Amino acid sequence: MAAEKLVEVKNCTMVFPGVKALDNVDFTLLAGECHGLVGENGAGKSTLSKCIIGDYKMTEGELYIKGQSIHIPSFSVRKSYEMGVAIVHQEFQLMEDMNGLENIFIGRYEKRGPIIDWKKLQKKGAELLEYLQCDVDLKVKVKHLRTAEKQIIQLAKAMLDNPDVLIFDELTAVLQEDGIQNIFRIIDLLKAKGIGIIYISHRLDEIFQCCDRYTVLCDGKFISSGEVQDIDKPELVKMIIGRELKNVYPAKSHKFGEVLLEIKNFTAPTAFRDVNLKVRSGEVVGISGLLGAGKTELLHAIFGNHKLSSGEVFIKGEAVKIHSPQQAIKYGLGVVPDERRLLGLNMLFNIKDNTTLASMKFFKKWKLFQNHRKESEAAFEINKRLNLRYYSLLQLISKLSGGNQQKVVLAKWMLRNCDVFLLDEPTRGIDIGAKFEIYNLINELAKAGKGVILVSPELEEIIGLSNRVYVMYEGKIMDVIEGENITQEVIIQDLLGVVEA
Amino acid sequence: MNNVETVQSKVQYKKNFKSFLNEWMILILFIGLFLISFLSLPKFRTTGNIMNILRQASFISIIALGEFFVVLIANMDMSITSIIGMTSIYFAGMVANSGVPVFWAMLIVLLMSIVVGIINGVLTVYGKMPSFIGTLTVMNIIKGIYFIYSRGLPISGLPESFNFLGAGYIGFVPFPVILLIVVAVVLHIFAQHTELGRSFYAVGGNIEAAKLSGINIKFISIFAFVLCAVLSSIGALGLTSRSLSGNVSIGENLLFDVMTIVVLGGTSLTGGRGKVFGVVIGALFLQVISNIMILMSVNTYWQWVVKGIILIVVVVIDANSKHD
Repeated sequence: MAAEKLVEVKNCTMVFPGVKALDNVDFTLLAGECHGLVGENGAGKSTLSKCIIGDYKMTEGELYIKGQSIHIPSFSVRKSYEMGVAIVHQEFQLMEDMNGLENIFIGRYEKRGPIIDWKKLQKKGAELLEYLQCDVDLKVKVKHLRTAEKQIIQLAKAMLDNPDVLIFDELTAVLQEDGIQNIFRIIDLLKAKGIGIIYISHRLDEIFQCCDRYTVLCDGKFISSGEVQDIDKPELVKMIIGRELKNVYPAKSHKFGEVLLEIKNFTAPTAFRDVNLKVRSGEVVGISGLLGAGKTELLHAIFGNHKLSSGEVFIKGEAVKIHSPQQAIKYGLGVVPDERRLLGLNMLFNIKDNTTLASMKFFKKWKLFQNHRKESEAAFEINKRLNLRYYSLLQLISKLSGGNQQKVVLAKWMLRNCDVFLLDEPTRGIDIGAKFEIYNLINELAKAGKGVILVSPELEEIIGLSNRVYVMYEGKIMDVIEGENITQEVIIQDLLGVVEA
Repeated sequence: MNNVETVQSKVQYKKNFKSFLNEWMILILFIGLFLISFLSLPKFRTTGNIMNILRQASFISIIALGEFFVVLIANMDMSITSIIGMTSIYFAGMVANSGVPVFWAMLIVLLMSIVVGIINGVLTVYGKMPSFIGTLTVMNIIKGIYFIYSRGLPISGLPESFNFLGAGYIGFVPFPVILLIVVAVVLHIFAQHTELGRSFYAVGGNIEAAKLSGINIKFISIFAFVLCAVLSSIGALGLTSRSLSGNVSIGENLLFDVMTIVVLGGTSLTGGRGKVFGVVIGALFLQVISNIMILMSVNTYWQWVVKGIILIVVVVIDANSKHD
């Protein structure tokens, strides 16, 4: 097959301050193929696609689009777009209060003089949908559309200027099965017209359903590339994980005590339903699931920050009601949210104030005034235990690296002496070294008799740290795996088996 | 190794100095302005004039300190002008027309302002109205009510002794100045050294993080509006005392000066940053500017122009220096 090379990346290296996100990666996209780009979170898939569309400028390496050599320093998203490269994101970048038509044409209106020519837009919009063979009412405000329909609008928007290269960045992560099948149908359609598609997805069986070739990245390195028909799922999985689980993870604790927290029949409309879960003292409980499975919502619901339609909570065997984070904290819960800058920290505060934010009431003079000296001492002690790297406690938190910021979020709850730690992607976006330190911390917490609930998209993390794993799919707990049975294969089988069902 | 540490500590020092400049720019500007006026304007440097500036700055400072707490949690209270008018009219009405003792009348208007503050807070927190609109609506409703009560006429006949609040002296220091010092010190301690006070900064800096850290964000938000209303009311009593009459227009045009002072004082309009003493200095700064313009017989309309330009400059600077 001597198809034209639409995109060619040679020896691409991308360095961010302190991190090598891509290391000597090669990638080729041919005309008329769907090329699956796979790897774990942080493997460099998104970074590579951003290099191709010119959002990031690769530190080293060459890029060719349609055979044309690209001058990297002057490359931009605008230029790549003009050359016929378009990207469709998993997140919706749509104006919710505008209708579908306007969303497609926003910024690229057809005009007659200064007046927008709505008739022409309608005609063009209809043509686009016909091309994609989809039926979406473009006159309805986008916020009233279903998720799958919104995705079609995004696709139509990307198709507006007839691109030759399309990048689907986890397009299907938020879709249901029928929506996914529709995307596959569209992919076949586009392939037949000679368009090349870079398909990024976490769901491996999708790769086997719709891709012709694949490229595997792991920790920013190129692992392998080839025809999808030549491999099977276990092989692909092995390539993605890249290595055996070494001693990255500390030995798990096996001394469990009383049940610290138990939830029964947790149900929240649109997020999750009938969730039962318990954490014992000394135990790390992992929750695994795809994006949109309801993991984050569940964690917030346990913490009193997400509305429940039904459910019971037991703290150390006693039935309690938790309606707000305040109450949750009173019962000894602490949460490390996934978005630490948006939810975990006050970026205007210094390290000390962020560390003591949840425990101010323990540091008082005459029960009225804050004892700043005692606060500082306590913050110093706890941050020393966490091996935090900083100059001064009065340093603004925004000056710390991501890993160190995350340690402060953890320090906040350790200072509060919580019994149960709810950790939502505690290692998101932090470097390897800090990751290991956090793994050790989680382990130490468990050994000190705390209970930990760990949510993470990284299976390796879940497997390496958890004593028990709950697998969630679309808001339901599908399986509970314990002890020796917690292996990559079993969890992936669960996740994939569920997708197939 | 040692070298690295020295370099790091130097970087640290530089940054601290820079952030000190950033935070206390207004103080440096104020000292500069004061010195220039002091040296160049003979009429400015009389004791009488300086005491006058202090006295005039005191009540508006107290009102601005109220607004400060609302701005600190990234909201805005537009209703202060009406709270001031309401306080003035109902206080004068109760004392002069209905013969209520001064003390009780003060207590009642303060309670009224608490109620208004709670309404503002509840509309914002539970009604989920943007505070700008919610308080603007409340402003008009209250204005209507006290205009109905007073028919828009001033109410005179307050006892001479009440004049002490706004015009009295203790020794050679005007009483309002002492009141301001007490209020500012108490509020400073409240803001910096109590759990409640720190919670205002936490809510303003990141309301979601504050909530997840167990801070009662609803209570804090409502509390800010109550604090604002009460301090506005105290300021209004002072203004009323100076003219010894209740007046519907007493608070008019004050909102602009108050917002200018709050921002001049280094309070970030996006919340989470600002200091009590910054606001007081902001008030002094604005008052000195007004004073100079009066001494130089600049007409009122030109004064508006100048103050407007000052506000623009300050807000533009604030908006562009957020990242530090």
